[in-house]
Amino acid sequence: MSAGIYVHVPFCLTRCGYCDFNAYAGLDHLASRYVRALLAEAALAAPGWDGEAVVSVFLGGGTPTTLEAADLTSVLVRLRDRFDVTQDAEVTIEANPDTVDAPKLGALLDAGFERLSMGAQSFDTAVLASLERVHGPDSVRRAMGAAREAGYANVSLDLIYGAEGETLASWERTLRETVALAPEHVSAYALTVEPSTPLGRQIALGARPSPDPDLQADMFGLACELLAEAGYAHYEISNWAKPGFACRHNLGYWERRPYLGLGAGAHSYREDRRWWNVRPPEEYLRQVEAGTLPVGGEERLEPSDAYLEEVFLRLRILEGIPASWVEPQTAEQFLESGLLREADGALVPTERGMLLLNELVLALAG
Amino acid sequence: MTDTSRIRNFCIIAHIDHGKSTLADRLLELTHAVADRDMREQYLDKMDLERERGITIKAQAVRLTHQTDGQTYELNLIDTPGHVDFTYEVSRSLAACEGAVLLVDAAQGIEAQTLANYHLARDAGLVILPVLNKIDLPAADPEGTAAELAELVGCERADVLAVSGKTGEGVTALLATIIAKVPPPEGSRSDPLRALIFDSTFDAYRGVIAYVRVKDGVLRTRARLHAVAARMDWEAEEAGVFAPEATPVPDLGPGEVGYLVTGLKDVHLVKVGDTITSQGRDRAHEPLPGYREPTPMVWSGLFPAEGGDYGALRDALDKLKLNDAALVFEPETSMALGFGFRCGFLGLLHMDIVKERLEREFGLELIATAPNVEFHVARGDETIVVHNPSEMLTAGTYDRVEEPMVLATIITPSDHLGAVLELCQGRRGEMVDMKYLSTTRVEVHYKLPLAEIIFDFFDQLKSRSRGYASLDYESWGYEASELVRVDVLLHGESVDAFSSVVHREKAASYGRGMVERLKELIPRQLFDVAIQASIGSRIVARETVKAKRKDVLAKCYGGDITRKRKLLEQQKKGKARLRRVGRVDVPQEAFIAALRVDQKAGEKK
Repeated sequence: MSAGIYVHVPFCLTRCGYCDFNAYAGLDHLASRYVRALLAEAALAAPGWDGEAVVSVFLGGGTPTTLEAADLTSVLVRLRDRFDVTQDAEVTIEANPDTVDAPKLGALLDAGFERLSMGAQSFDTAVLASLERVHGPDSVRRAMGAAREAGYANVSLDLIYGAEGETLASWERTLRETVALAPEHVSAYALTVEPSTPLGRQIALGARPSPDPDLQADMFGLACELLAEAGYAHYEISNWAKPGFACRHNLGYWERRPYLGLGAGAHSYREDRRWWNVRPPEEYLRQVEAGTLPVGGEERLEPSDAYLEEVFLRLRILEGIPASWVEPQTAEQFLESGLLREADGALVPTERGMLLLNELVLALAG
Repeated sequence: MTDTSRIRNFCIIAHIDHGKSTLADRLLELTHAVADRDMREQYLDKMDLERERGITIKAQAVRLTHQTDGQTYELNLIDTPGHVDFTYEVSRSLAACEGAVLLVDAAQGIEAQTLANYHLARDAGLVILPVLNKIDLPAADPEGTAAELAELVGCERADVLAVSGKTGEGVTALLATIIAKVPPPEGSRSDPLRALIFDSTFDAYRGVIAYVRVKDGVLRTRARLHAVAARMDWEAEEAGVFAPEATPVPDLGPGEVGYLVTGLKDVHLVKVGDTITSQGRDRAHEPLPGYREPTPMVWSGLFPAEGGDYGALRDALDKLKLNDAALVFEPETSMALGFGFRCGFLGLLHMDIVKERLEREFGLELIATAPNVEFHVARGDETIVVHNPSEMLTAGTYDRVEEPMVLATIITPSDHLGAVLELCQGRRGEMVDMKYLSTTRVEVHYKLPLAEIIFDFFDQLKSRSRGYASLDYESWGYEASELVRVDVLLHGESVDAFSSVVHREKAASYGRGMVERLKELIPRQLFDVAIQASIGSRIVARETVKAKRKDVLAKCYGGDITRKRKLLEQQKKGKARLRRVGRVDVPQEAFIAALRVDQKAGEKK
C-alpha cells in the first residue's frame, strides 16, 4: 500500500499562544544536530519500510523553513536514498511567510519541494495580533508573490477563524483576499482552544473570551460559500482545493494508509499499530545519537478502535460511510434532521453535519 | 439499687454553642466519673457526626456519683437533642427527668430553641434551675442575661446561678443546687414494672440497646419483658448504666436510669416513648402516658447518581433504618432520575444527616429532589395523602388541599425586627404575637406553612439578622391552602423530579425562576429545546436552549489520530452520564444544581 513520510521540525521563531504543537522557540542552536539526527533516524527506520512505495513526503512543524535550504535538501535526498519514494510523489513543505524569500523558495523547489503550505492565518492585522502571529498581512502577499516568482504552481494557504476580535465581516475580507491570491489549496481551521496553551489558560482564568461556536459556525458557512464560488472543492472538513490539488499526504492520514513520522514527537501508523516519537527535542537527539529508534509510545488498535477511526475519518473526508454500517432508524433520524445526506449508497455529512461531526460519529459508531 | 431519696435525674437545656458539652465535661470531672488521663473534650458526644456538627443527635444518660454531707448521691444526667427536628425525642428525654438546668450563654442571651425546650420542660413539670454560662468571657453580660432568665423563669435574680464550663467556676455550687432543688423521683419497688424507653441505639454486636428510665418496680437482668406499644415480648439480656462507659448492673430500681440490651435486631420494635413492663400477671395495667409514633414532616426523593447503585442504596437505607426509627422510605421511580426512594424525615436536619451518612458511611453519590411537605388532598369523601409533588392531583380535580402549618418562635435583636417580619410576611406568615424580652430583644410568634420553612427559611433568617435571630417551631396541624402543582417540561416532556407544589400566588414566579435556571444548565442539543413551566395545561414561563451548531475538532494534528479518537471516547463516556428526558440529554450536574434548595428558584436574593 502506498505510504507517506512526515518529517517534524520543532523550531519556531516565536511561540503562538494558541498552538499546542510540539514546537519551540530559542532552540536554533540545536538545528544542525537535529538535521543530522533526522538523517540518522531515516537510516534506522528505513529497513522496516522495505518495499513500501512512498507517495508523499511532508515537512511540517514547527516551522521547517527556519532550517537552511541546504539542510532541508539533505533530508529529502536522504529519504529518496533510503526509501522507495515514487517519481510523482507529492512533496510538501510548510512555511511561515516571514521565513521565505524568492531565492530560498527557488532552492527548495529545485530540491524537489513542489508543494508549499503557508500559514497565512488571517489578513486582518488585529486577528493576527490576537493569534500572536509575528507576520502581517503584507508578508503573506509578499511570500505568495515570491512563491509564484520562484515557480511554485502548488501553494496552499492555512487560515484560522474565530479568534478574539474577528467578526464575520473581517473573516469575509480574509477569505476574499485569499481567493484573490489564487492559491491551489486552502485550509481553514476553526480556532480550537487547547487547555495546555497560554490562550487556554487565559480563557480558563476568564482573562479572554472563549471563541463563540455559533459565530464559528457562521464563519464556516461563509468559507464553504465563498470558496465554492471561487472554484475550490470542499474535500475535508477544513480543506478545499482546486481540481487535482487535494493534499495527497493528508488524505493518507484520513484514508488510514500507512505513514512514518520522523523527528521529535512525530506519529507513525501501520496496520494495527500507532506509535510516536519522544516529544522533547533534546531527548529525541539523545536517543537517535545513541543509535536507537526514539519511540516514546505505541498502541495496538482493537477492531473497535479501528472501526471508530474508520467512521470518523471517512466522515471527515466527505467520502462518507456505507449506509449498511448503520441502523436504518439511526440513519433516518439524521437524514431527516439534515445532518446526513445519501450519495451512492453512502451516508455523507451535510454542511451542517460536518460542524456536528463529533455528535454524528458518536451516534453512528457508538 | 439506690434509694429514690438519693437519686436526682436532670437534663441540661441549652442552645447550640452555649456550652452544654463543656459543662458536662466539668460534671464528669468533679464526680470522678472519668479518670483524668481518659478525659477528652466533649466526652459524651460519641458519634463522629455529632462532634463535627457541634450538636447532639442521640440522647445519652450518664450516671454520676457525688458525695456530699456524708451522703452518696446518684445523679443521672440525661442529654437531650437540641434541634427542632427532634422535639418528640426531647419530650421523652424530659419525661425521664425531674429537673432541668436551663443553661444560657451570658454573652448571647436566650435563644428560640432554648425557649421552646424550656416550655416543654415546664409543661412536663420539671423543676427549672436557671444557670448562666461562660461568665469568664469578656463579652459576657451576666447582669442583663440574668435579668432575662429571672423574668422568664419567674424567680429572683439572685436565684440564677453563674458558672464557667471552661474554668469550672461555680460548677460545685451547681451540683449542690441540683441535689437541693431537684426533687427525688417517686415510685415504688413493689408496684408492677413500668419503665420508659426514651431513646434507643443499634449496636452491631448486641442488637438494639434501649435507654430506659424506671418509673415503678424493678427491672432485672434476664427478666422477661413486654413492650406495650410494640406488643413485643423479649428478655433483658443485660441491664446497665453509663458511668459513663457501659457498666452492667443486676437491676435498675425506681427512679434509676440506664440501658437494656434487648437482643432484638430491629430498632422499630424498641420505640421511643414506649413502656416496658413484665410479662404475665406482673404486667402493669396502664402504660406510661405520651407515646407517639414518629411522623415524618419532610419528604425527598433520593436517587443514586449511578443507576447501578440502586441495590446499594436500598441496602444502605435498610441498615440506617436499624438505628434510626424515624426514617421511613418507599421505592420511587422517576422518569428523569430512574429508580430510587421517597424518604420521610423528621425535618431538614434529619434529612441532611441521613444523606450525609449515606454518602459518608456507604460511599454513595446521591441526587436528592427538593424537599417537600406532606399534602392532604380532599376529593369527595376521601383524603389522599401526597408525599411527592409529581403525584399531586391536577388542579380542578379535587375539592381542597391542606398543608401542614407550624407555630414558629423567633427571637431577634430588635434592630433586625423589620427584616424578620418582612421575611415571615413574604412566606405567607400570620403573626400570632410579639413581646419584648428586653429593650433590645424581641420574641415573635408566627403561624407559617411548613413548606415555606423548608425553603431555606433558616438561612434567610440568619442572613437578614446578621446571624443573631434564632428559630424554633412546633406542629400546628393542617390548614386548607391555595396550592397548585407546577410542572417543568423539557421539549414538551414533563420532568417529574422538577415538579413542585407551590402557593398559587407564587406559582408563576417559581416556574419562571426554575425555567431561567434550567436554561443555564441544560446543554445545547442537536435541536432547539423548549423549557416550559406549566400549571395544569397553562404555560406560565418559557425559554429556549438553541440547537448547538458546532461540535467538531478542526484539525487532526500531524497524523495524531490517537488523540482525536481518545477525545471522542471521552465524549462518549460523558454522554453515558447523561440522563435522557424524552429526547433531551440532561447532565447529572444540571439535576443537582436545579434541585439545590439554597438557591431556590423564585426567591428574591
